[in-house]
Amino acid sequence: MAKQIGADRLGDFYTNGRVRKRREWRGLADTMYDYSCWLKIMLILGKFLMCPRNIKAMFRYRWMANYLAVPMMVDRHTQGLRGEYLRIAHTEFDLVVDDVAKLLANLFRADRRIGNDVEFSKKCVLVDENEMTAVMMGFPTLKGLSRETVSTYVPVLQNQHAVLHYLDVAQDYGLAGDVCPMPAAEAGVSIDDDAPILGACAIQCNTTCDGSLLGNGVIAKRLELEDGVPCFQLAAPLRHREDDVQEYAAQEIRNAIAFIEEHTGEKWDWKYYFECARRVNVATESRLGWLEMNKTDYPQVFGSNLALYTETNYMAICGKIPEFEKADRKITALAEKAYKKKMRAAKEYRHRAIVWGVQSHYYMDFLLWLLNCWGIVPLTDMLSMVSTRRLAEEDTPENRETAIYDMAWLTENMIMRNRTHGGYKVLLDELWEFCEEFNADMVILWEHMACKALSGFHGQFEEMARERGIHLVWVTHDLFDPRVVSRQGVRDQVNNYMRTVFGEEPIDPTLEVLPDQESW
Amino acid sequence: MKDLKHLIYFEDLLQNAFNPLIAQAQSEGKICAAYSCENIPEPLLNLEGCFSVRLRAPRTGSMEMGTYYLTSFLCEYSRALLERAIEGGFNFADCIITPDGCTMMNRCIENMELLKAVGKDKEKFFFQYLEIPMKCDDNGLALYTLQCRNHILDPLSKTFGIDVSDAALRKAVEEHNKVCRLIREIGEFRKGDKPRITGYEFHIITLATYAAPKHLILDKLEETLEELKLREPDEKDAFRARVVVVGSEIDDVDFIKLIEETGAYVCADRFCYGSLPGRNPIELNDSEDALTQICRHYMEASQCPRYMNTGKNVARREYVNALAKEYNADGIIYEQIKFCDPWAYERMVGSHVLHDDFGYPVLSVDRPYSIAGSGQMRTRVQAFVESIEIKKIQGGSANG
Repeated sequence: MAKQIGADRLGDFYTNGRVRKRREWRGLADTMYDYSCWLKIMLILGKFLMCPRNIKAMFRYRWMANYLAVPMMVDRHTQGLRGEYLRIAHTEFDLVVDDVAKLLANLFRADRRIGNDVEFSKKCVLVDENEMTAVMMGFPTLKGLSRETVSTYVPVLQNQHAVLHYLDVAQDYGLAGDVCPMPAAEAGVSIDDDAPILGACAIQCNTTCDGSLLGNGVIAKRLELEDGVPCFQLAAPLRHREDDVQEYAAQEIRNAIAFIEEHTGEKWDWKYYFECARRVNVATESRLGWLEMNKTDYPQVFGSNLALYTETNYMAICGKIPEFEKADRKITALAEKAYKKKMRAAKEYRHRAIVWGVQSHYYMDFLLWLLNCWGIVPLTDMLSMVSTRRLAEEDTPENRETAIYDMAWLTENMIMRNRTHGGYKVLLDELWEFCEEFNADMVILWEHMACKALSGFHGQFEEMARERGIHLVWVTHDLFDPRVVSRQGVRDQVNNYMRTVFGEEPIDPTLEVLPDQESW
Repeated sequence: MKDLKHLIYFEDLLQNAFNPLIAQAQSEGKICAAYSCENIPEPLLNLEGCFSVRLRAPRTGSMEMGTYYLTSFLCEYSRALLERAIEGGFNFADCIITPDGCTMMNRCIENMELLKAVGKDKEKFFFQYLEIPMKCDDNGLALYTLQCRNHILDPLSKTFGIDVSDAALRKAVEEHNKVCRLIREIGEFRKGDKPRITGYEFHIITLATYAAPKHLILDKLEETLEELKLREPDEKDAFRARVVVVGSEIDDVDFIKLIEETGAYVCADRFCYGSLPGRNPIELNDSEDALTQICRHYMEASQCPRYMNTGKNVARREYVNALAKEYNADGIIYEQIKFCDPWAYERMVGSHVLHDDFGYPVLSVDRPYSIAGSGQMRTRVQAFVESIEIKKIQGGSANG
């Protein structure tokens, strides 16, 4: 129990149950700060539950129970953190929690089965969970809401077992068990008829993979053919680095905007678009600044702090919510302060790693575990290495045309797909370039076993890493399904490599084996 | 029935990816344009001076090297192709053209490129990757046309001096249609109560049109058609049920054989490498350029599940229903090669829709690339045939 970083044996907090033995003592100031943030999250949760329709939704939708584990999820992502690191984590996670609570409230307000606010529903446009929401940047009066985010994506972050039921439903219905569990779970929710029904229309997208593309068909079958919500399928080109696909991509954006206008009666607002574009640029510049810091000996915004926030801010927010701009600036200020003080987030940094591949959703705090257990610093991850293009932000006739291509570019380069599609250069070649830029000595390669894009280069990753003398640690998992590879199964792969190849002992041995099989 | 005169000839052609007709065509100075997916418009590879060969890996045994590079989670078709490429089995190809149709096929071909597994001693050899539409609309057509020009016609023209003019395209379509019409006419003999051709025989003949230079088998196809016109069907029907096979790629000669050995007659072939709609003739008009019309034909006719718009999704299942009616099928077998994501979803939804909404008995199966030794598959198809048969005998509803 101490203020110093790394003074606690973090494994000692674990029990065989769902929650930890007690809260971490981080010294007076940090503990008070952390506790006040915890109270704030409880307040958000309490406020949310004060609304009768949200209570109704809690009983209607099976996945809603997972939200009771929100405080635990934030605690998992702040393990061992002190000072600026702790504040950066809370700035991000607390904002994301608040944003998801608002998303839930909006969904239930419009949901035909819950709030049934018909007029509000007419102002809602459904979007995919893994979709770049750029086409909503010019509709200030509309709400772009994702049902999949709240029913599958976020619940797995809170509770590792959250979507097992839906995976079983999809497989009972006849879906092969070898497809990616993310679209499979989303399809399971639709088959189970367990998603809110609302919206003037929906914009689906061929987001990251064949599974996502095909899963949309299952959702559209329920949504469009049974519930009568018109769906537009936005087809973003796969070979997104090629010049000869950009016009197609731009036309898809034009068509999507026209579809939204037609079904909502709203008109595209350029002023609002460019305001959002400016905020996207702020987010991009902030991220680039953090990544620059991560190339030095004193990285500041990395691991979960970088990964989860980028995913939310880049894709779901996409400049539409001003609070995220404030958060970007606050995080940058905290990071710069820590950088000047040459702060480190763990007591020992042993290895500098690039985390590549698709991370396990049921074990998102693994990056923090890498740091605390083995001193592996996850400098950046594949999902954070997204577009760095500066968008046009001044409203001129030329820029309006440029903006269409900017939105198309963002949509093509949504998280994950910008690496899983586009040919081997974006997935293989650029990894090694990043290793050099970040001076990394190892790659933690998430091998999401059902991700064909990643698995399809298994041999190439191995051979190329060997040629370059980079330690490549495979970490196999099944994204949403801890029954296939458990959290301990994930850890063991790293433990084995560190002990046998590096011959190292863990920095915190209590973390090597954890009884978190039953944990949320 | 009396054996078809050229059946063994066609069977022999399918024993190796590099069949003697490919060598013959190349010795005539023609360029072999290999491709890997039904979304590549075939006539564009069959212009004067070149011919198409769709990649297969017949008689595949072990796939250790393919599995090392692609892992055991990618479909066996992609692994078998990569294995064969590493073994040097595709070195006959003068270029490989592939769409980003599915991720696995993309990775398979990209691995070939990275491993330099194909094109040995061929200075002009190239790989080309195409973006192809995922929706059937004007924007998709514009993309398709542009991509075919940039990644098929231009490279063929610049590298090998192939004539890619509108007139050349029209001529290629005409040649292509000759084969299509023959295949479709042969396929018509599957419709009657006493079919004059088995599903297996038809599958072999159709496969040959994908795997060998078309102009070199045209005469055999014509002869086979004439032979069928006079062929006497067996007095007693050897089959107990008629089924449509729907699903992902089947280039395995044994799969249809296995189904028919269990007593189910394969009356229609709605799978990649099949004739429906792969051997639909392309009708061209004079008011629009040929390339656009070819691309439109492929886009509209395609039954590939990667087409994601709702209209196409619904139409895929309606198409199967229409085929089942046209070919008088008793049931439908939805199949997918194991680990195929697109067909995993399409099979799931399609098998429910065809059963629940259209009232057909449906068997839904996944399968390996090479099926011959699969007792499990045989048992499942046998049980399906028996269930159809029992329903017929008891006069129960087909949907029961």
